[in-house]
Parts: sequence; structure tokens; C-alpha cells
Amino acid sequence: MGTVEFAGVSKTFGGKTVVQALAEVDLRIGEGEFVALLGPSGCGKSTLLNILAGFEQLTSGSVRFDSRAISNPGPDRGVVFQEASLLPWLTVWDNVVFGPKVQGVARSIYEPKAEAILKIVGLEGFKKALPVQLSGGMRQRVGIARVLVMEPRALLMDEPFGALDAQTRLSMQQLLLDVWQKLKTTVLFVTHDIDEAILLADRVCVMSARPGRISREIPITLPRPRSIDDLTNPAFIQFKAAIMTEMRGAHGAH
Amino acid sequence: MPLAGQLSSSLLAFILPVSLIAFWQLSGTNGVIFGGALPTPDRVWTAWVNWAFGTPTFGLNPYVGTWLQNVIFSAERVAKGFLVAIATGVPLGIAIGWSRLFAKLVDPTIQWLRPVPITAWLPISIAIFGIRDFGAIFLITLGAFYPIVINATQGARAVDKNWIRAAQMMGASQAATLWRVVLPAAMPSIFTGLRIGLGIGWTAVIVAEMVAVKSGLGYVLWDAYYVGRMDIVLADMVSIGLLGYLSDRLIVALSGWLLTWHRLQSFNQ
Repeated sequence: MGTVEFAGVSKTFGGKTVVQALAEVDLRIGEGEFVALLGPSGCGKSTLLNILAGFEQLTSGSVRFDSRAISNPGPDRGVVFQEASLLPWLTVWDNVVFGPKVQGVARSIYEPKAEAILKIVGLEGFKKALPVQLSGGMRQRVGIARVLVMEPRALLMDEPFGALDAQTRLSMQQLLLDVWQKLKTTVLFVTHDIDEAILLADRVCVMSARPGRISREIPITLPRPRSIDDLTNPAFIQFKAAIMTEMRGAHGAH
Repeated sequence: MPLAGQLSSSLLAFILPVSLIAFWQLSGTNGVIFGGALPTPDRVWTAWVNWAFGTPTFGLNPYVGTWLQNVIFSAERVAKGFLVAIATGVPLGIAIGWSRLFAKLVDPTIQWLRPVPITAWLPISIAIFGIRDFGAIFLITLGAFYPIVINATQGARAVDKNWIRAAQMMGASQAATLWRVVLPAAMPSIFTGLRIGLGIGWTAVIVAEMVAVKSGLGYVLWDAYYVGRMDIVLADMVSIGLLGYLSDRLIVALSGWLLTWHRLQSFNQ
């Protein structure tokens, strides 16, 4: 459950100047695997995520999720957006239960789940708050909670902590590690932050730009459970050095 | 703002109207400016009091004790026409903003019809509906419809793409996305349309009542002019202005209550 297979995926954006965002990308993600897509902006990493989410159509190639072709967005692939993208007129609670509600799930089933998840992300005291009344980090906790409540088979996270300050980002990374280590959902995590990619992922896929493709895949063998203390671990630093070299090379080639 | 500050700032709003009324009163009494054509504020006030609270007699004077009745006639027409305009304009605007096909199908026609002023529709309206309520309501609906539909369209078009993506990702159907995302997201813009539309509705009701119906503030306005009762004309004008102002405040209060999220957002930026 939650396996992903990109095969020869290309994506071209039309318009005045045709841009090839992705060229022949192959990527397999196993059940319960945490994969980070790491690369500079404009390398097509978000496009790849959007295709898996069903937000964008590919130009050629195929994407399969649990062996089935993707046509539309759906609650089996929960997306966490960069700016949280909560519905601003709904309270925290209504944002979190939006998914089950529109899917027609019985209240008696989704309410206890939503309660539990709000507790996990530390927002049980903010049910009635509006998104605008929350800090960026709290908003993103809601963004994660509204997805977890649907129990998706995969989590697609598009630079979810990119807009947060360094300290909040660390606490969000720790939160995600804690949650994921319990749930073991498949995750595709897009980031341009090397530390974040290594800390979180089982495998880091370094992408290069124009055209976007995966230049190298680096398995991160740091033991689990991890925490933000691993950021200063010598083994961590070695991975970081390897990835930096790779990125510099990828950058220099273009 | 401290209470004293609030008080003095709301007092500021009265400086201009009070001076204007005082100027009007003084110049009228001395017969300097208006040459006696316009009654002074005190006479307008007396006329209004009589119009509003006088005991109707069996005589010929229609300007005694009939104010409230005429206010209700006009307000009811505006309310009916406005509600029809909302019921048609909001769904149509959302549909135009949401669906490119629908926009291509309907929007050009609306844009071609829109430059025809509602006053130009009067003869046709009378021809079709006769001297009856329908004619007035038709004009009000038409006048209020355009700003409502245009602002609803605008609102539906400006919805954040990621809100729609998020809703679809959470399993919302097309209908649920429209109802639960596009409509609420368009609300601030829709309310702008409602305010403009309601203002036009009041214009329309006065025009319609002057020509196409035999009751209401517009009818009294024109009738009083014909019989030379300028004090009633002025009292009528003030009444229209007051009703327009109060109904606008009602919409503003409603939007303040419904759109707390939007108000907070604007304050935060």
C-alpha cells in the first residue's frame, strides 16, 4: 500500500516559450518509504509531486500509485502545501474535518480521529481559532492534521516548512519524525534544504534543472528513530558532504 | 482608539452636514440664495412630522400620516427586486467565474446588455408589466443584477488555486468544491456587489415609482413636485437617503458578521 512508480515521466509546459520541466524521470517509492526530492528551485521537483497528486497531467510516461494510473486528486494521496493553504473562513476544527465531511464519513467515526490528531500536533486548544489567528508553524500543523485525519496511503509534502523560521522548522521536523515513525506512511517530500532531506528521508533524490531529472539517489542509512540531534552527528555530516558535492556537480554541468 | 478619540472622530462627521444645513437655513430665511424656491430646513422638518405622524383626514391632502406606508411600499419593492437579483446574479456569477465554457456562453451577452441604462428599460417594462409592482421590481432586479453578477464572477475567478486543489485532494466533488470553497472564497467580492447593487436598487425604485407605479416614495416625490409641495419633495429626498444609508449599514453589518476571517486577514496585512 502506498507504492509509487514514475516511469519515463516528462512534462512540458506550453506557452510562448516551451519549458521542459521534467525529462524521462524514473522513480520508485516502496511501501512506507520516506523519499526526499532535493534540488534548486525550477528543477521540477514540485511538478513531479503535483503529477502524483493529480493536480497536473504528465506529457509522456506513466505514474502509478498502488499499480493504478492517476487521473485525479484524491484523499488516498494527502498533500501538504508550502503555505498550508487552509480554508481561511473555516476554524481549525472545520479545516481538519473537511476531508471526512465531504467524503460523507460518519461524524462518530471522524470526530475521535480528529480529536486525537489535533492532540498529536499540539493544537487541541485551538479548535475554534481561524487560520489567520495562528502562527505559520501552527497553520502548517493544521495542514498536516487535515491530511492525517484522512489516513492517506501516501503523504505528498511540497516544501511544507520552507516558509517557516529556522526554530519553528526544527520543531516541525521533529514533529514529522515522531508522527511518521509511528504511522510509517509512504512520503514524498519536496525540499531545497539539504539538512531537512537527510534528517527525514530514507532516500534522497537529488534533482538537477533544465530539464528536470533525478541526477542521483542517495540512501540515508542513519538509524531510526531519528531526532533533530542527528543534525550534528558525524555520519550526518558525511551524507551532507556527499550531497553537496553531487549538487555542485549537477549545477556545474548546466 | 480611546473613547474620547472615538467620540471626537464621530463628531467630526457631523461638522459638514450641520454647517450645510445651517447655511441653507440662514440663506433661505434671508431669501439670498434660493430665491424662495426652496423651503428652509425647519419647514421641511414640520412637513415631514406632519407627513409621518399627522392623523389622516378624509380631505384631499395625501401628505398627512402616509409616510410610513410609502416607505414600506418602496422598501418592499427594493427588497423583492434585490432578492431576485441576488438569487440570479450570485449563482450566475459563480458559474461564469468557475466555468470557461459558461463564461463564453453567457458573459458576452451580459456585457452587451449592461450599457443599456435601467431608465431606458422603463417603456418596455411598462408595456410588459403595466402600471403595477412587477414593473418596478423588474427594474430594481435589473439594476442590482449587473454589479452583483460581475462581482460574483470576479470573486469566483480570484479563488486561490491551492484552496481548490486542497479541497479536491480531500475528496470534495465538483459541487462540494463550488459550495464549500468557491462560494465562501468569493463572498467578500460578492458583498461588494451587493452594496453597489442595493444602491442602484434604490435609484431604480424611485425612477420606477415616478413613472410606472402609483405609490411609494418615488411617486410621492414626483406628485409633490407637481402640486408645488417642495417641502414634501425635500422631506422625501431625505427619507430616501436615510433608507439607502440604513440598508447599506445592514449589508455592512451582515458582511462584518459573516466575513470575520476576511476582516481579520486585512487587519493582519
